[in-house]
Amino acid sequence: MSMMASTDLLFNVDHGYLEGLVRGFKSGLLKEFDYTNLTQCETLEDLKLHLQGTDYGNFLQNEPSPIAVSTLDDRLRERLIIEFTHLQNHSMNPLTKFLDYITYSYMIDNIILLISGTLHARSLDELMPKCHPLGSFEELPTIAIVANTADLYNAVLVDSPLGPYFKDCLSEQDLDEMNIEVIRNTLYKAYLQSFYDYCQEIGGSTAEVMGRILKFEADRRAFMITINSFGTELSKDDRKNLYPKCGHLYPEGLAKLSEADDQDQVRQVAAYYSDYRKIFDGVGGPDGKTLEDKFFEFEMELHKISFMQQFHFGVFYSFVRMKEQEQRNIVWISECISQQHRAKIHNYIPIL
Amino acid sequence: MSSASTDNPVYAPFFGVMGASAAMIFTAMGAAYGTAKSGTGIAAMAVMRPDLIIKSVVPVVMAGIVAIYGLVVSVLIASSLTQDMSLFKSFLGLGAGLCVGFSGLAAGFAIGIVGDSGVRGIAQQPKLFVGMLLILIFAEVLGLYGLIVALILTTR
Repeated sequence: MSMMASTDLLFNVDHGYLEGLVRGFKSGLLKEFDYTNLTQCETLEDLKLHLQGTDYGNFLQNEPSPIAVSTLDDRLRERLIIEFTHLQNHSMNPLTKFLDYITYSYMIDNIILLISGTLHARSLDELMPKCHPLGSFEELPTIAIVANTADLYNAVLVDSPLGPYFKDCLSEQDLDEMNIEVIRNTLYKAYLQSFYDYCQEIGGSTAEVMGRILKFEADRRAFMITINSFGTELSKDDRKNLYPKCGHLYPEGLAKLSEADDQDQVRQVAAYYSDYRKIFDGVGGPDGKTLEDKFFEFEMELHKISFMQQFHFGVFYSFVRMKEQEQRNIVWISECISQQHRAKIHNYIPIL
Repeated sequence: MSSASTDNPVYAPFFGVMGASAAMIFTAMGAAYGTAKSGTGIAAMAVMRPDLIIKSVVPVVMAGIVAIYGLVVSVLIASSLTQDMSLFKSFLGLGAGLCVGFSGLAAGFAIGIVGDSGVRGIAQQPKLFVGMLLILIFAEVLGLYGLIVALILTTR
């Protein structure tokens, strides 16, 4: 009874307006028939015209034509950022902390971007505009001056929200190409597990919905890390340390994955889990779907299902992911149009 | 048989009245939970599959039936109350009311939770309907057992 009271009865007191708002945003996402119209466009001007009839409206109005695909990408991202920042500004705890958790993944991407940019001797002015605005925090620009991971932690990250995720990465080794990726994956693993624990702590429908989504995210990362590490210098032990432990694969699947040497063995591991077997079986096929495509499709299904329940925070996370996927879809279609290479124009991921 | 019999204490009707109230109160709470929980499920899934709305109203109907059980028992107990009644009859009334009340509360809870998940599952897999219906019937029948015992008690 008390669980019902705190999750169902009293949810709308603090979060009702924002849940309603986010459902409104979600209903403004492009539908199948919008995508059909977009794929039939001949030029980017046509695309802009079609987008005017959707929720995006006149967002490209001030751009000089001809529009570049990168400008389109920036404007689309801006729209998501405006909506997300509005949600953050009006939120109350525990929703505020939940939305903060969503921004941490962008922070990790920004940190890695700045580190690798500095290694390639790019200037800070060049790199800062490339950072994702949702992932900005005060100490971010100072990353350009660090030399090794210990500095990175002590000088930059200890006061930032990502501080606690860094303890597994500390070493005196200098930053270079290889260990930047290791740092990225280690940070992300700590972040994912922390996010999962927080959702379980909230309990109720949030724990159920986000648990499903984050378990899939953890498993997907384990698979991709394994597959991408074939043919690189990453040792099996190092690889094992990068797998997040909050997924369905933990512990037996992860143990088998850490032994895998090629794609077939990865497939065999996936065969033990009915959902993942279906994903791996669907790769290839007549429309040439890659593994990433199948993972994205499955993820979009999970996000669609999360909107079927009310009074939980999963809808916010799902909305952000669906909007990003929509952005990727529109950019894919625009690239196909602008390069006049329309063979794979229908390979966008269906969202709704 | 005088009206001021010392066998029947003055406070005897209290228990019967409490039984009648308990019957209605708790079954209404159970039915409210059932209706609310499955109602939100229906509202959420109707966005995707509006054609399944009428089939999905079944949990709400079953939650309403639980409240009717409480109403029936309440009326039966209330109509057996007199100013001068024995403690025995009064206790029977209390027992009957509590029996159907808490059974109805439990049934309403079960119907709510199963109805919510079932209705959302039907939106994705319509063949689930028969399964959900069977489970709902088993949940409903808990309230029915309460009704049966309450009826036996009130007709003693």
